[in-house]
Amino acid sequence: MYLKTLHLRQFRNYREQQIAFSAPKTILLGDNAQGKSNLLEAVELLATLRSHRALRDRELVLEGEPIGQITATLERETGTVDLAVLLRSNGRRTVSLNGETLRRQLDFLGVMNAVQFSSLDLDLVRGGPGERRSWLDTLLIQLEPVYAYILQQYNTVLRQRNALLKQRRRSEEVGETPPDLEQLAIWDAQLAAIGSRVIRRRARVLDRLAPLAQTWHQAISSSTEQLEICYAPNVQLEQDDPSVVQQTFLDKLAQRSIAEQHQGTTLVGPHRDEVEFTINQTPARQYGSQGQQRTLVLALKLAELKLIESVVGEPPLLLLDDVLAELDLNRQNKLLETIQDRFQTLITTTHLGSFDAQWLKSSQILTVRSGHIEE
Amino acid sequence: MIEQLQRLPGVGPKTAQRLALHILKRSESEVQALAQAILEAKQQVGLCSVCFHLSAEPVCEICRSPNRDSHTICVVADSRDVIALEKTREYRGKYHVLGGLISPMDGIGPDQLNIGQLVRRVSKQDTKEVILAISPSVEGETTTLYIGQLVKPFTKVTRIAFGLPMGGDLEYADEVTLARALEGRRELD
Repeated sequence: MYLKTLHLRQFRNYREQQIAFSAPKTILLGDNAQGKSNLLEAVELLATLRSHRALRDRELVLEGEPIGQITATLERETGTVDLAVLLRSNGRRTVSLNGETLRRQLDFLGVMNAVQFSSLDLDLVRGGPGERRSWLDTLLIQLEPVYAYILQQYNTVLRQRNALLKQRRRSEEVGETPPDLEQLAIWDAQLAAIGSRVIRRRARVLDRLAPLAQTWHQAISSSTEQLEICYAPNVQLEQDDPSVVQQTFLDKLAQRSIAEQHQGTTLVGPHRDEVEFTINQTPARQYGSQGQQRTLVLALKLAELKLIESVVGEPPLLLLDDVLAELDLNRQNKLLETIQDRFQTLITTTHLGSFDAQWLKSSQILTVRSGHIEE
Repeated sequence: MIEQLQRLPGVGPKTAQRLALHILKRSESEVQALAQAILEAKQQVGLCSVCFHLSAEPVCEICRSPNRDSHTICVVADSRDVIALEKTREYRGKYHVLGGLISPMDGIGPDQLNIGQLVRRVSKQDTKEVILAISPSVEGETTTLYIGQLVKPFTKVTRIAFGLPMGGDLEYADEVTLARALEGRRELD
């Protein structure tokens, strides 16, 4: 797939900006805080409707304005698609495809695919389990858009169940009769039913991603290191059978019910999952060197590119946010070899010094200066 | 007045302004009639003591009607749902309005809804079927399962099917709806 044009209106620090992409690689050159990453964020939003930097849409809209808009023309093998996201500083988003407003945001997902690789991604290895869950979820949403709906349902059940557990704890403290156990049992059943769908889908995607990442990791580290990716679900997944997983889930809920009652929160479920990375049998999180961790993240990102390409049938976009300069020459070359001209790539950088001359020749270079872009 | 109107559901600042200007342009008697109608409705309309649907009488028209099948009770979340179902003119039984859905986050448990009244109603009367017509959200699902458990000992319990809209093309249906429709499939008769 190829992003032909991007139009930002009152988005972040852009008031009005039209960009036409004319080469498979585009380098966005500019000092810090000029709007380079904002542009990549706009593309990320089109692909996933999520941003790894913003919690609320208010942050995405140009300050003082009620609305912001991202529109784009995307060329896919099946034809050209116009995408648009309307953001409101106070209210819900509106998404549309080919000028038609969609009733559900779910239908917008999966039209455009992108893999984001930023310097923040080192947190994938160093950060807490939440970072890894969020990474896995974002990937899954692109591969199986319906997962966005499942995840949202799971989070609603989780919040409701937590509220009920808190009520029970509170009423116990003041000596009132707590809400009935029948209601809790129904929330348990729902948590287990929807939670096991989350677990099985996560396991499935990691099964497909792990061998790809392993191969890449070996190639980048010149076969000296062996990467293992292991899904460590909070509820054990022994058999990929919905009813077995649900039963394991319910059993564990029963086991932990006293602790849950005491803490007033849900302790069992995929919101407590972990993904473990080990290099040569050593946990990468604790023992990996900076270089090893970079290799690992790069291998994961390349694996994501390949996985999305094989599932979707078209190469996704690659967004490299300030990350190329951080890689040494060997890793840079591995990355560039993979991308070639097949994956449309947007790269942000503060200086062109670290780029290969051959590379610069074939790239479109845009200069970003305080919310304006010049050729 | 604009501020007051804006508190109504579905009315934003612009609509509120338009409504206010419209009211100011009307004759005093017209405005009087509108105000009177609103006030009267508020004073007179209460809830039916049997089914909890909106009603000007102690027992609503549907509950009083001798032409309706009193052995079938359709359970809905809200009075709006009764109105929607009545429009179809397909249903000839009675209703029971819960007044919401179970949602611990909003502090709504079974005790805040008309669930106890439903169980009493079903256990006392000769009820042949309870139809649960509650939307398939997470909260709706919980409410459906909860009521199902309580009512099952007394009578047959069914729930409405979810799936494809009429006139909709199968290929345009989304995965979630299709999965739902597949789950609720039935034998061809």
